[in-house]
Amino acid sequence: MERLHLLARIAGQRVAFDATAVESVVELEALAPVPRAPAHVAGLAALRSRVLTVIDTHAALGVGRIERGALMPAIIATVEGHLYGLLVDAIDDVAAIGAQPAPVRGRLAAGWREIAVGALEHDGALLLLIDPAALVAGPAARAA
Amino acid sequence: MDELLAEFIAETRETLEPLAGEIVAWEAAPDDRERLDSIFRFVHTVKGSCGFLDLPRLEALAHGAESVLAAVRAGERTPDAALVSAVLAIIDRIGRMVEALAAGEDFPDDDDGALVRALEARAAPALAMPDAAAQPPAATLSASRAPARSIRLPVELLDRMMSGVSDIVLARNELARRLREREQDPQLDAAFERLSVCVAAMRDAITRTRMQRIDSLFAALPRLVRDLSVELGRQVTLDIEGGDVELDREMIEMLRDPLTHIVRNALDHGIEPPTERLKAGKAPTGRLRIGARQGGNRILIEIADDGRGIDAERLVDKAIAAGIVTRTQADLMSRTRKLALIFEAGLSTADKITAISGRGVGMDVVRANIERIGGTVDIESQPGHGLRLALSVPLTLTIIPALTIITGGLRFAVPRSAIDEIVTTRRGQVALETAAGATFATIRGRRMPLAELGTLLDLPEPSPGEDRTLIVLRLAGGDRCALAVDQVLDHEELVVKPAAPAVMATGLYAGTTLPDNGQPMLLIDPAGIAAVAGLLDGEAAQQDEDQDETPIEAVAMLLFRGRNGAEYAIRLSLVERIIDVIGEDVRFIGGRLYLIYEDGLVPIIASATIAIEPEARLRVLLISDGATTLGIAVSDVIDVVDVSEPAMPAATPGRIAGVLLIAGRPIELLDAHWLLAEGAQASMPDEDARPLCLLGDATDPWTREVLRPLVEAAGYRTAFNGAVDPARADIVIASEQAPAPADLLAPVIRLRSAPAGAGPADESIYRYDRAALIDALGRVVRKG
Repeated sequence: MERLHLLARIAGQRVAFDATAVESVVELEALAPVPRAPAHVAGLAALRSRVLTVIDTHAALGVGRIERGALMPAIIATVEGHLYGLLVDAIDDVAAIGAQPAPVRGRLAAGWREIAVGALEHDGALLLLIDPAALVAGPAARAA
Repeated sequence: MDELLAEFIAETRETLEPLAGEIVAWEAAPDDRERLDSIFRFVHTVKGSCGFLDLPRLEALAHGAESVLAAVRAGERTPDAALVSAVLAIIDRIGRMVEALAAGEDFPDDDDGALVRALEARAAPALAMPDAAAQPPAATLSASRAPARSIRLPVELLDRMMSGVSDIVLARNELARRLREREQDPQLDAAFERLSVCVAAMRDAITRTRMQRIDSLFAALPRLVRDLSVELGRQVTLDIEGGDVELDREMIEMLRDPLTHIVRNALDHGIEPPTERLKAGKAPTGRLRIGARQGGNRILIEIADDGRGIDAERLVDKAIAAGIVTRTQADLMSRTRKLALIFEAGLSTADKITAISGRGVGMDVVRANIERIGGTVDIESQPGHGLRLALSVPLTLTIIPALTIITGGLRFAVPRSAIDEIVTTRRGQVALETAAGATFATIRGRRMPLAELGTLLDLPEPSPGEDRTLIVLRLAGGDRCALAVDQVLDHEELVVKPAAPAVMATGLYAGTTLPDNGQPMLLIDPAGIAAVAGLLDGEAAQQDEDQDETPIEAVAMLLFRGRNGAEYAIRLSLVERIIDVIGEDVRFIGGRLYLIYEDGLVPIIASATIAIEPEARLRVLLISDGATTLGIAVSDVIDVVDVSEPAMPAATPGRIAGVLLIAGRPIELLDAHWLLAEGAQASMPDEDARPLCLLGDATDPWTREVLRPLVEAAGYRTAFNGAVDPARADIVIASEQAPAPADLLAPVIRLRSAPAGAGPADESIYRYDRAALIDALGRVVRKG
């Protein structure tokens, strides 16, 4: 059975999100910072009268900070009742992928291990299937 | 009571409807246990409610049916046809009585006893059952049924409505922002305004649907107190007040555990056993008072007992033993702060652990629960005489009044409930000092720790010497601490949503909100901020609390000379401005003086009568409390001085509050409250204080319609000759037609109708020589 996936790039890596976990894709403008929040919390933004918590996926992976531009592509997802915006490098496509996600073989870099829940094959390229909840939890959850 | 009755009626109707089916089925199969049970439950519930609502007839009926059905359930009786009919007859009767109750009618005093007796008639052949036979149940029920005024709704539906309306508010806010960005369109604005009003009304209404009487929280307490007093060997009277106060259903649930815990504590640790109470010279029966009242959009719940109270020193010893504070810290604590130790985790006043309380989970949980819903807990103890806890909680959870502030370039909201006051460093109201790196602010004699909010939040530091606004936070236990911010922006009602866990984990924020400008904003958690800032531990309120009540404060006073030449003082802060006006703008309207000022009328008072001449210049002090503005006519302004000595109070309340000694001169201090109250009523000073002018002939239209208003505008009362005792007159105006009465002490102004006088000795005034006339009137007043 084919499932829709959202294809994006995080820290140069091609990734996929299960489309059912994604609410929408937006470009965020200004963020309201959250002082003293963990590094992967980039700030707050408003989306159609709702407040969303914006996650810096680079920081969540432990690979520095994502570049802040005037318009930042973000994937909107709800995790445990809270609305999040996941900042990514770029959003490429939406694709129906027939293959089932396979377990990730090979040794991934530290940050990726918890975030990538599987590997997908699409157009001959390897895509890491990302768990939004793991991104949201950030590096602190892994340290614990 | 009416509400409970309506509830009972609704509930009974509601159960009767499905029960009609059950009854029929039971009649067909009297052995059906399930049906029997549901009928039993019904009569049992009705009996219980009736006893409570004082409806003896219904209660007797239900009781009869209940006993019989209980016997059937116990297998003591078999449900034969007669029994079934008798029960059915009773249920019908209950149904009709309830309908009569709902319609507010008296139910005919039929013989209920016969129905009950029919139940006892064992296996007797079908007795006459007029009720059941004559009217089938369905017909009975619909006959006199008043339209139902209430319906029952699942709470989840109300919750959905509430969250829906919160979203509408947010959407409205965003729309407001978008509209502001566009060009002004009055029609669109008007439509939006209407929408806003509707949304607000809707929000109010829906908030109210979630309201519940606090009774439902208090209802369990009498039983709890009774059980506990038996268990603990106490004698306690429980007084409950304010059960009709309403608050959010969710709040009631959140309050249930804390309240139960507080009551347990009161009985276990507060109120002593009777013998001990007698030894302490108290009545053997303790009193526990629980009261609720609404204050603004907060609910205050007070729980007070007359037990042994909390000994602050003993509490401190325990806290030191438990390692919660050090002796040094404890020595520096204020009494309030020491008492607040009761809220620390792992601390209990109980010497021995009992099953009731004292297990170390206690007051800390109480406080945590109350604070989670935006509430505060205050504690007040009189060792040996009792303890009083005051809980203050907001009416609802979702919409909270907040103050928006800006610091380090970011906007934040602070719950209004936690804010005690706002002061600025600019006007020298605040003394700042540092000790070992910690900063303290002294505001009106009260010293409190101070933290820079921006620094706590790792925001850019303000440039030194910049004016700061201090927000004084009131923390649990009544402690205060101050947060310095750049600026206070506004007071807003905000729809607050919980923030994401990662944000909440900072312990600094209570939630997020989306104000009109569309920029998400964080709601500061005052307790969390204070904890992170260490403002709780570095407590330095060493100041004796008694001193706090009477801080010495220098007050700037404005000194001026009144129209009567005497010197007066008034608090400078009340004086909005000093203006010079011309006589033309001062009118005598409706019995008092008004100044036409900025398109409005400002009442004016003066220490002496003002003669209103159009050309005259008048200096006026405008004082204002924000709503009411009042002018004080003065001769001139002398000086502004700082006065730190209190005024000697005046003997009687009035325009003069008291006397100040300034530079050796006694100067009367005006009572601003009195003056503004006068201004607010715009009432005439004192009628009788005005001099009386006696006028000539009342029948003369010129005197009545032309002269009289002029004289009154000059500050006189008027009376016509013959109406009052001429000896009481302060001045008399006479004319050729109406000469002055003889033997008068009062000065007389003589008017003549010819422009020219009769000769140099003629002191009379031409009747249209307004200036001369007013001057003459004024001269007399000044002399007086």
